[in-house]
Amino acid sequence: MQAEPSQISDNDLLHAVAGGDELALAACYDRYRLILFGLILRILHDREEAEDVLQEVFLQVWRRAADFDEARGRAFTWLVTIARSRALDRLRSAGSRTRLAEEVAKAPQEEVGDAALDALKSETGAIVRQALAELPDEQQKTLFLAYFEGLTQTEIAARLGDPLGTVKTRMRSGLSKLRELLGQSRDLV
Amino acid sequence: MEHQEYQELLVLYSLDALDAAGTRDLEEHLNTCAECRDELIELRDTGALLAHAATPVEPRPEVRDRILASIQREPPATSPAAKVIEMKPRAQRNIWTIGLRVAATIAFVAMLVGIIVLWRRDTRMRQELAQLSRQFNTQQHELVRDRDVLGRQRDALALLNSPSAKKMELAGTQTAQSARGTFIYDPKTGRAILMAEGLPATPTDQAYELWFIPKGHSPMAGRIFTVDASGHAMLPEHMPPEAMESAVIAITLEPKKGSAVPTGATYLSSPSS
Repeated sequence: MQAEPSQISDNDLLHAVAGGDELALAACYDRYRLILFGLILRILHDREEAEDVLQEVFLQVWRRAADFDEARGRAFTWLVTIARSRALDRLRSAGSRTRLAEEVAKAPQEEVGDAALDALKSETGAIVRQALAELPDEQQKTLFLAYFEGLTQTEIAARLGDPLGTVKTRMRSGLSKLRELLGQSRDLV
Repeated sequence: MEHQEYQELLVLYSLDALDAAGTRDLEEHLNTCAECRDELIELRDTGALLAHAATPVEPRPEVRDRILASIQREPPATSPAAKVIEMKPRAQRNIWTIGLRVAATIAFVAMLVGIIVLWRRDTRMRQELAQLSRQFNTQQHELVRDRDVLGRQRDALALLNSPSAKKMELAGTQTAQSARGTFIYDPKTGRAILMAEGLPATPTDQAYELWFIPKGHSPMAGRIFTVDASGHAMLPEHMPPEAMESAVIAITLEPKKGSAVPTGATYLSSPSS
């Protein structure tokens, strides 16, 4: 089923990277470049900057792979967290957050549910996207503002004109649904 | 602050959406509360799924070269012996599902007791009993319907993770050039799933129908379905044994109730081998 024949688990791959195995890092890149680059690009909306950040991310993976501890979460989570934090740091340091946010707000919505052909590149991704698409709009929007724009609860409340408590409730409901989905499929990517 | 209140903050914290003061308080609590630490791990694993909401994009090939060149300039700063920690399978926390099941079981047992008591009492009471039964059935139906969407997605994931699963790509025909589909099936169990995108909405009196066309056989009808507003469909299927060896999968537009043989235009099809 996997696009690549390698059956090495993510955990083993990261352990090999921690041991200084360059091929393992290359394999890790091959396995996750699409989703990580998609994520970074979604946050930064700039290909060149996103490629810079992608490079930083894998350099950090190389340097810090020994910090990965599978008792504290999945390898996928570890990788995605590094990519998201790096991209959000870049977004903030650019000082262009407001401008970008405005651009995004003006741009046609290409959120979950658009029939992008790319969506089928990863079946798991397609299923998660479907689950996200089934969330009520406000929940989806709240989660996306936090995740892709790095806004805090207070900032989201201000942006959407919602009370703070509502923001919290929406995030909780949205995440609960995703968590149910994750429940039986801990190995999915 | 109480433990319960900290738990509420965890959702925000897991997405880095908690303000500074809240973060400080919560981090102090996390130092002393193993339950909240476990909860945070689950929430972070869940939150990471949001990355899938971004469309996957291919970076330029140079990026890979640049990365591999840059790591050769620096050895990993970490200890050479990667620590191996035995993975502790985390308990499947599916309290909601378990709760529903327990509730349904209790309701069912209560019904049985009710039936026996009422049966002994009086035939007049039977009408009441019938009504209770109907109510119970209705509740069961609602329960099933609520769980249906989730169940469908879970089945799909189970299928995707099955090592014996096979995949067929479906391409749009002249009629629907932007349509795409993936058909995944497990030859061991016959369980299958169709995921389709870019299909035009159907007129109210028509629907899509899936066909299995085994080599040398006439087409066998599969499920009838419609697409959502964005042209997506995801539906569970069962692969007939005859179609397991080599079959073409096709989607045609048919009258709403379906047809016994394909009559309308073909929208999606797997390559004929």
